[in-house]
Amino acid sequence: MTAPESSAAPLASPTGEVAGGITKKGLSAGTVGLIGAVVIGISCIAPAYTFTAAIGPTASVVGAQIPAIILVGFIPMLLVAFGYRELNRRMPDSGTSFTWAARAFGPWVGWLAGWGLVAATILVLSNLAGVAVDFLFLLIAQITGNESIADLASVTWINIGVCLLFMLGATLVSYRDMQTTQKLQYFLVGFQVLVLVVFAGAAIIQAVNGNAFDYMPFDLAWFNPFAVGSFSAFAAGLSLSIFIFWGWDVTLTMNEETKDPEKTPGRAATITVITVVTLYLLLAVAMLMFAGVGSEGLGLGNEDIQENVFFHLSGPILGPLAFLVSLAVLTSSASSLQSTFVGPARTLLAMGHYGALPKSYAKISPRFFTPSNATIVSAVVASGFYVVMRIVSEDTLWDTILTLGMMICFYYGITAFACVWYFRRQWFDSTRNVFFTFLFPLVGGVILAVLFFTTLIDSMDPAYGSGSQIGGIGIVFILGMLIIGLGVVIMIWQAIKRPAFFRGETLSLDAPASARRGRQSVSK
Amino acid sequence: MSAHIVVGYTATDAGEDAVALGARLAMASGFALDIVVVLPADDRSVITPPDAGYDRYLQKQAETWLAAASEKIPDAVPHATHVRFAESFAEGLLTAAREFGASYIVVGAANGGLRGRHRLGTVASELLHSADVPVVLAPEGSRKVDPAIGISRLTAAVGTRPGTDALLDAATWLSTQTGAELRLLSLVSVDLPASVDTGVIRLAGAAHADDVLSRARESLSGVVDAEVVVARGESIEDAVQSLSWEPGELAIVGSSRLAQHRRLFLGSTAAKILHELPVPMVVVPRTTQTQEGETR
Repeated sequence: MTAPESSAAPLASPTGEVAGGITKKGLSAGTVGLIGAVVIGISCIAPAYTFTAAIGPTASVVGAQIPAIILVGFIPMLLVAFGYRELNRRMPDSGTSFTWAARAFGPWVGWLAGWGLVAATILVLSNLAGVAVDFLFLLIAQITGNESIADLASVTWINIGVCLLFMLGATLVSYRDMQTTQKLQYFLVGFQVLVLVVFAGAAIIQAVNGNAFDYMPFDLAWFNPFAVGSFSAFAAGLSLSIFIFWGWDVTLTMNEETKDPEKTPGRAATITVITVVTLYLLLAVAMLMFAGVGSEGLGLGNEDIQENVFFHLSGPILGPLAFLVSLAVLTSSASSLQSTFVGPARTLLAMGHYGALPKSYAKISPRFFTPSNATIVSAVVASGFYVVMRIVSEDTLWDTILTLGMMICFYYGITAFACVWYFRRQWFDSTRNVFFTFLFPLVGGVILAVLFFTTLIDSMDPAYGSGSQIGGIGIVFILGMLIIGLGVVIMIWQAIKRPAFFRGETLSLDAPASARRGRQSVSK
Repeated sequence: MSAHIVVGYTATDAGEDAVALGARLAMASGFALDIVVVLPADDRSVITPPDAGYDRYLQKQAETWLAAASEKIPDAVPHATHVRFAESFAEGLLTAAREFGASYIVVGAANGGLRGRHRLGTVASELLHSADVPVVLAPEGSRKVDPAIGISRLTAAVGTRPGTDALLDAATWLSTQTGAELRLLSLVSVDLPASVDTGVIRLAGAAHADDVLSRARESLSGVVDAEVVVARGESIEDAVQSLSWEPGELAIVGSSRLAQHRRLFLGSTAAKILHELPVPMVVVPRTTQTQEGETR
């Protein structure tokens, strides 16, 4: 029975072939379906977490024009995501921005892009864990009915201790690559969306019935981006709203992993973004109607509630059901922690692999098949960052979100330009290429560059963000500069220790030749 | 046409144990080795975004591990290496075993087992709950055993429960393939609940054991010669410890009668044996004889 089968399968025949015996048959290509891709997309964005973290700072800069900024913020994200997709199709590599920028602009720019990505994701890791700590205590307070428990979250050492425990848990989960079951994850994402819709609905009903804190009647002007006071405010708002869409691009860049690479990624990205934008707009309108943008009490402009708006608003809006919001944010942060961990770990792995960092970063755990060292390093740095920030400033969450927005603009911008430059010989191969490899990423990159520099200049003002400052300079600027400066220092150190990568020996400059010219020369 | 042995490999001590034992078994029997690394498939990640670039990196890394592993295999053993993607390690190994028509799956004990002892890891236990071919468990330290030592003796733990025939068949077949002596071990006298621990029952049990063994021996006569021993002791752990084990020995046990038809499931007796056993253990599904007959 087995004899004919075995002899028919040459790879299984006992000829002692070793190197040639490696089969490609089992490559896992094409296993993620449409719903799976949408679920991954939504859990990467983690709308419950991002919204509670970002709406306060956004309201403080653009006032009531939050819906407008959300809509406009999506544009650069979309344009850059198109560039991402092109690069990912051409050079699928776990180093993403790092590898692509190195291919287009050489090792130095590539290194900095990788650094930007790692720094941004490490910032968000510490922020995520911080938000999760707040909501854990809030949830316990809501369930036990003992409100004083929620205040424990603001005791520095308790906050830091619990946050480090969260980080440890998330690291273990990522290191061991533990996944929930598909059903549970679908349920969690569905739960998150449902709770947010109920929350927004309840806020609107309360507002209309006159139970609002500061009722603002619905106004179409909220959707008008030109009503934002100044360009600085507009830029700051935009870089925040880029943060709320961050993670969405994974749906678009999943190509060969999906069952139908032609249709699934596009459809998944569309469904994800429509869901998320609708949710955000609904929530933004609801929060505005209920709380207003005043700087007193529950107003979105109040600095004391800005860094975590749901934390303060869920009780007044939902009453006894407020614990649902805490639960949604907690689960959203938890799964986002895990999906976010993958980003810096895989990029560090690629940097180690190409010799841009010590080889040990390229190590893969033989038991769990995860980038073991890179994961641990990301976790340690994120924890350290959180501890320092928490001790230095009470408004850690807010300032990290602003710095994060800046870092995303930095490495997304480089990636967008990398796409434009990398495909320079193919721009005019087809109408499609004109848009997807040239126009879209170029415009997206320019917008992000403008945002980056505007934020950088504005953040020097000590009043920027939470108002924390060191020596008369805003802490967001100091943080941003420290991160980039540290990156440059480490880069130079690595260039001395590991010159091969910086001479372009491991990852060379490249630009694919025009397919059109190629065809012509062949036909001649 | 020789049969195949699938080795579930990871670049860990447990993986080295499995490869060394697989090579030893292959050398003694003339079977071909298929060393398989099972990587996680994309559809199992429902939180982290899959990444084709990373998958490719993993695959390359797995190929490097496999190349290093196959260097340690004696040249005389025909072997091939494979990378597979599956939801779980056990699932990937079973699929590979079916594909190659393998007669055995070899896996290492999980890290953390005492030297020379078994400690059943999640992979091994998942495999034992679902495999339809015999599973060979390599105890911690198997990697230090020279493959050239071969398989000197095979000890089959025989009871009266259903599945004994399948076990005897599998043991006979393996002993003819490897040229190993066969030793029949009766655990009947000790394989009783603690509550009936009285001398009378023990005596009756011992008589019963002798009866079973002589019948088993009869059914084997003409095929192979078998030595017969009856385990004595206060408990199964005790009994296993008091037996002598050769360095090149293999133990072979049947799976639980609770297992689904043609599936493995480690029964409580087998689990107790496993815990004390200093040699590799083969777990045979309850009804493999027809399948084995065809595989031969």
